[in-house]
Amino acid sequence: MSDSMAGTRFMRIVNITLIVLLSLTIILPFMHVLAISFNSGIDAQKGGITFWPREWSIENYIEVFKQENLMNGLWVSVFRTVVGTVIGVGLMAMAAYALTIKTLPGRKYITFFVFFTMLFSGGTVPYYLVLNELNLTNTIWVFIIPSLYSVIHILLFRTSFSQLPFSVIEAARIDGCSEFKIFRSIVLPMSKPVLATISLFTAVGHWNDWYSGSFFIRDPLLKPLATLLQEMLTRQAALSDILLRSSGTQAYAQLDKVTVTGESLQMATIIVVMIPMVLVYPFIQKYFVKGITVGSIKE
Amino acid sequence: MENLVVHNGILKTRQELELHYNPVKDSFWTRITKHKVFYIMLFPCLLFFLVFSYWPMGGLVLAFKEYGFNTGIFGGDWVGLQYFEKFFSDPRSSLYINNTIIISILKLFIALPFPILLALMFNEVQSNKLRGTFQSISYLPYFISWVVVVGLMNQLLAPNTGLINQMIEAFGGDGSTFFMMEEGLFFPLAFISYVWKGIGWDSIIYYAAIVAIAPTLYEAASIDGAGKIRQVWHVTLPGIAATIIILFILSLGDILSSGFDQVYLMQNPGNADVSETIDTYIVRTGLQGGQFGYATAIGLMQGIAGLIITIIVNKITSKKFGTSLW
Repeated sequence: MSDSMAGTRFMRIVNITLIVLLSLTIILPFMHVLAISFNSGIDAQKGGITFWPREWSIENYIEVFKQENLMNGLWVSVFRTVVGTVIGVGLMAMAAYALTIKTLPGRKYITFFVFFTMLFSGGTVPYYLVLNELNLTNTIWVFIIPSLYSVIHILLFRTSFSQLPFSVIEAARIDGCSEFKIFRSIVLPMSKPVLATISLFTAVGHWNDWYSGSFFIRDPLLKPLATLLQEMLTRQAALSDILLRSSGTQAYAQLDKVTVTGESLQMATIIVVMIPMVLVYPFIQKYFVKGITVGSIKE
Repeated sequence: MENLVVHNGILKTRQELELHYNPVKDSFWTRITKHKVFYIMLFPCLLFFLVFSYWPMGGLVLAFKEYGFNTGIFGGDWVGLQYFEKFFSDPRSSLYINNTIIISILKLFIALPFPILLALMFNEVQSNKLRGTFQSISYLPYFISWVVVVGLMNQLLAPNTGLINQMIEAFGGDGSTFFMMEEGLFFPLAFISYVWKGIGWDSIIYYAAIVAIAPTLYEAASIDGAGKIRQVWHVTLPGIAATIIILFILSLGDILSSGFDQVYLMQNPGNADVSETIDTYIVRTGLQGGQFGYATAIGLMQGIAGLIITIIVNKITSKKFGTSLW
C-alpha cells in the first residue's frame, strides 16, 4: 500500500468517526430522556441514571395520560395539525400553480406582493392587534387561519411545479380539461416529493408551535400540547399546579405518595410530544432530498 | 396547395405561419378574463397576505401613536418620536442591541461553515446506506421544537443529576454547577445548541448541491494534478456557492431578531443580562406589558434595519458572485 493510499484510508476513518460522534450527540440525549421517563421519578432524583432506567416504571406516562389538560392539549394539537396542514398545503399548492402560468397578467407583481412579506413585516405587536381586531385571539382558529400560507413554501411549490413537463399539461388543456382538474389530477399526482416535504414542514410547524398558544390564547382548554410543555418547563409554578390538581386539594405532602416528580413527568411529556414525529419520519424522509431545491425568487 | 409550407418540420398553412410570427395580441381585459380561473386560485392567497402581512404593516403607524383600547390601531393621538426617544434614552437598550448582534453574528457567520463541512464529510462516505442512515439521524433535531431542545438541555445540564455533571463527578470534579444559570455560558450554549439543531438539515441542502456538480469537473481537476483538498476548494465550494449565498441572504432578514424561540426559552434569572434581545424585549414590553406603541416602535426599527441589510447584501452578492435572491 502506498503512502497516499494509507493517508486516504486514515482520512476516511477520521471522517466516519466524526460523523458517528455527531450522531451520538443526537441519539444519547434522547436515550437519556427516554431512560428517565421510564424510571420511577423519586428514584431518578437520586441521580446516576444514564441511558437505561434503573427502577422501571410506567407511572410517568400514566400520569401524563391522566392529566386532563395535557390530554385536552393533545387533541388541540392533533386538530390544528391535521386541519391546518390539509387546508394550508392545498391552498398553497393552488396559489403556487397559478404563479407558474407564464402568460398570467400581473404575475410579476403578484409574486412580489407575496415575496415582499418575507423581507418586511409589521412586527409582533401590530400582528397581534390585527388578530385581536379579527376576533381570532382566544379561539382555535388563531392556530389555523393565520398560518395557512407561508412564502417560502409557496416558492418551493412554484419551483417544483415549473419543472413539470409542460407538454402533459398542455395536452390536457387542449383536450378540454378544466384548470382545476389539471391541477388536481395531473399537477398534484406528479408532485409527490414536494407535497410530502411541505406537508411535513407544515405539520411539524403546527405541532411544534407553542408561541400562538402562549400569547394569543387565554383559555387553558385551547392550549396545545407544545404550549403546555413550554409552561411546564419554564414555570415551575405551573408544574406544581398540575401535580397538586392530580393529588387532590391536599398540600404538597400528598405528593410523597406519588412516585412521579415534576422532572420525570416533564421527560415523559417530551417523549409523548416527540412520538408522532418519530412515527411519520421514516415514511416521509425519503422524499426530502428530492423535494427540496433551493433557488432564487427570479426564474 | 401553394398555401402549405413546411416550418420547423411541421406542415402549416400560410395563415398559421403568419400567426406564428405575428401573434394576435389579445386586449388586456381579454387576457385577464382568459386567466380568470388562476385569479380565483390566487385570491385567498392575496387576501391572506393583505390581512395578515400588509394590515399589520399599516399598523406600524402605532409607533407614532398612542394606543387606546377604544381607539384601536389607527385612531389614537399622534405622539411623534416619543417612543424612539424613550428607547434610546434607556441605558439598558444598548445592552439588548449588543446581545442581539452577538447572537446574530454567532448564528449567521460563525455557524455557517459547520453544515458545509458536514456536507463535505457526508460526500466522502462511500456507502449509500451508511450515509443515508447518518443523514437521517443528523437532521432529526431540525424537526424538534425548541421547547423540547431546551427541555433536553435543562435535563442534561442540571446540577448533580444532569448527565454532564454526573460525568464531571465521575472524573472527580464538582458536579453541582448549574450550567443553564451561568451568565458566561449563555452565548456558548446558545451557539452549540443552534448548530446542533440545524447542522444536519442545512447539510442536506448543501449535500444536494454537491451531488449536482458534474463529475467531469473533478476528473479535469484531478488530471491537472489537484489533490483532494484543492478539488474541494476549486470545484466543490464554487459549485455550491450559489446555494450558500441564497441560504445566507434568506437568514439575513432575521439578523436583528436572532431567533425568538431559542433565546426566550433559554432565559432564566441567572442569565438575564445577556439573554434579553430586541425580540424578547418587544414581547415582554408589548405582548406581556401592554406598551403597544413603544414595542411597535422598536419593532419598526428592527424591521427596517433587517430590510436594509438584506437589500444591501443582495446587491453585493449579485455584483460580486452573480447570485442573488431576486
